[in-house]
Amino acid sequence: MQSSRSMVIDPKKRGRFLAPFFVFVLPALIVVGAILAYPVIYALAISLTDRELLYLGKTNFIGLRNYSEMIRDRNFWHSLSLQLGFIAIAIPIQLVIGLFVAILFNREFPFSKILRSLLMLPVFVLPVLSGLTWRLMLQPSYGVLASFFNSISLGPIAWLADTRYAYVAILLQDIWRMWPFMFMIIYAGLSSMPSEYVEAARIDGANFFQRFWYVLLPYLKSVIATAFLLRMIDALRIFSEVYVMTYGGPSNATMLLSLYIHKQAFEFGRLSYAASVAVFLLIVALFISYFVVKRGLRGEIE
Amino acid sequence: MRKRVISFVVLLVALSIVLIELFPIMVVIVNGFKRDIDIWSKNPFYFKPTLRSYQLIFTHREFPRSLRNSFVVASLSALVSVSLGSMAAYGLSRFNFKFNDALIFILLMVRMIPQISLAVPFYMIFRSIGLNDNVLGLSLAHISFNLPYVVALLLPFFSSIPREYEEAAKVDGCRTFQIFLKIFFPLASAGIVVAAVFAFLMSWNEFIYALVLTGTRAKTAPIVVNAFLGQYAPLWGQLSAAGTIMLLPVFAVTLSLQRYIIRGLSAGGIKG
Repeated sequence: MQSSRSMVIDPKKRGRFLAPFFVFVLPALIVVGAILAYPVIYALAISLTDRELLYLGKTNFIGLRNYSEMIRDRNFWHSLSLQLGFIAIAIPIQLVIGLFVAILFNREFPFSKILRSLLMLPVFVLPVLSGLTWRLMLQPSYGVLASFFNSISLGPIAWLADTRYAYVAILLQDIWRMWPFMFMIIYAGLSSMPSEYVEAARIDGANFFQRFWYVLLPYLKSVIATAFLLRMIDALRIFSEVYVMTYGGPSNATMLLSLYIHKQAFEFGRLSYAASVAVFLLIVALFISYFVVKRGLRGEIE
Repeated sequence: MRKRVISFVVLLVALSIVLIELFPIMVVIVNGFKRDIDIWSKNPFYFKPTLRSYQLIFTHREFPRSLRNSFVVASLSALVSVSLGSMAAYGLSRFNFKFNDALIFILLMVRMIPQISLAVPFYMIFRSIGLNDNVLGLSLAHISFNLPYVVALLLPFFSSIPREYEEAAKVDGCRTFQIFLKIFFPLASAGIVVAAVFAFLMSWNEFIYALVLTGTRAKTAPIVVNAFLGQYAPLWGQLSAAGTIMLLPVFAVTLSLQRYIIRGLSAGGIKG
C-alpha cells in the first residue's frame, strides 16, 4: 500500500500510530472473528466428530472419517460434477452473450443509457423470486415458456420433473439472470479502451473479425478473467434458485453441492458429515477467491 | 444517413434484447394483477386487472410481519456493517501496521465464503445460545457477509482521498477520530451510501440463512414468498404480488446507483 509506505514512522511515535489503528480496525476484527472465523473453526471441529441433529448423546471424535466417507460417496462426486458442469456450460454462454451485447452497446445510439441500466435488473432480482418465476414459466400445462417451447415443437416437456431437463432448466435460469453481469463488467472494460486502438487496426485494413480477435479480446483478457473467476465463485454458491425450482431433484439431477450440504444437514440430520462437505466447498471457494483478490488487489487498493 | 440507419438498427436489436431479458420480470409484475384463474389461462395478455392478490398478501397471516423482519434485518446488518466497516477501511488505509496487507488480503478473500458453509455452524452456535429464530441472530449472520463486503468496497474510496486533507485538519488541531468523522466521512459519503445500499440489498435478497436460522417469528419475506408455492395449490397470484413488492427496492437501487453498480458488483457479488 503506497499510502503507508509514504509515511515514515519514528519508532518512538509508533505507539501513537498504533493506538488509533486499533481503535478503528479492532471492532471490525472482533466482529469478523466472532461471526466468521469462529463458525469456520466450529465447522472444522464438528466435521471431525459424529454429531447428528437429533442425537442428544455424547459426540465422539472420529478424525477424518467424515472426509473419507465424502470421498467414497458417489452422490458427492455427482454433485461436484453437476457443479463443474455448471461452470463449464453456463459461464461460457454468459460470457459470449455478454461480450457481444457489450460490443453492441459500445456505440452511440438513442436510449442506450436507459436500456443499459434496464439490462442490469435481473442480476439484482432475488434468486428465490427468479427461481419461482422460472418454475411458473416452465409449468408444462400453463407456463408461458413451456407453451413457447411447445409451439416450436420442443415439447411437451415436464421441465422440472424430468431428470434430463431439470438441469437444463436451472442452467437456463442462471444464464438468463447472470449474463448481464458479464455484460456490465466487459462493457466497463470496453469503454475504458482508447478508441485509437480500433481506429489504427481499421486503418491497417483489419475487418471486424480481425479487430475483434487481435485488438478487443487481448485488451479485455484480464477483465474477462476476473469476471470468470467471480462467476465461478457465484456458481459454487448457487442455492436458493435451485432450492425453490427443484430442491435438487428429480432424483438428484440438480443436487448441486450447497443443496447436498443442506439436505445432509437438515433433512438427514447428519450435521458433522454436512460440515465436512461445507469445509470442502469453503476451501475451494477461498482458493478461487485468492486468485480474484491477487488479480484485483493491484487495482483495488493502490 | 448510413450512420443513422445503423444506429436505428442497433437500437432495435438492443431493445429486443432488453425486452426478452425483462420478460420474466414482467411476468411477475403482470401476474400480481391477475386472478389465479387468469394465470392458468393460455393467453397471458388477456385478463382483467385486479388488486385482489395485493389485498390478500397485506391481510396475510405472515407476509406483513416477514416484510417488516426483512426490513429490520437488512437495515440492522447494513448499519452495523457500514459503521464498523468504514472505520476499519479508514484505519487500514491510513495507519501503518505490520499485518496491514495480510489483514486486507484476508478480508477481501473471506467476503466470498459460500453462505451454506457457515449455515451448519451458525445453526448449532445459535441454537446453543438461543439466537435461533431471532431477528438479531439473523442480522448477525448477515453481517458476516456484509462487513467484509463493505470494507472491500470502501478501501479504494478511502485510499483515493489525498493525504493533504488530513494533514491540514491535523494542523488545525483535529484529533484522529474527528478527522475521520469530519473529513473522511463526508468525502467518502458517496462510497458509504453505495456500501450501505448494497449491503441492505444483499440482506434483502438473502435466503439460505433465513431458511436455516428462522422458524416462525423471525421469518423474512423471501421465505414466505416461497411458501406461497404451497403443498397442493400454488398461489401464483399472491406469490407474484409479494415478489413485486420485494422487487421495489431492487428497482430503486439499480436505476439510481448505475454509476456505482460495477464497483459494487465486483466488490462482492449480490447473490443470496
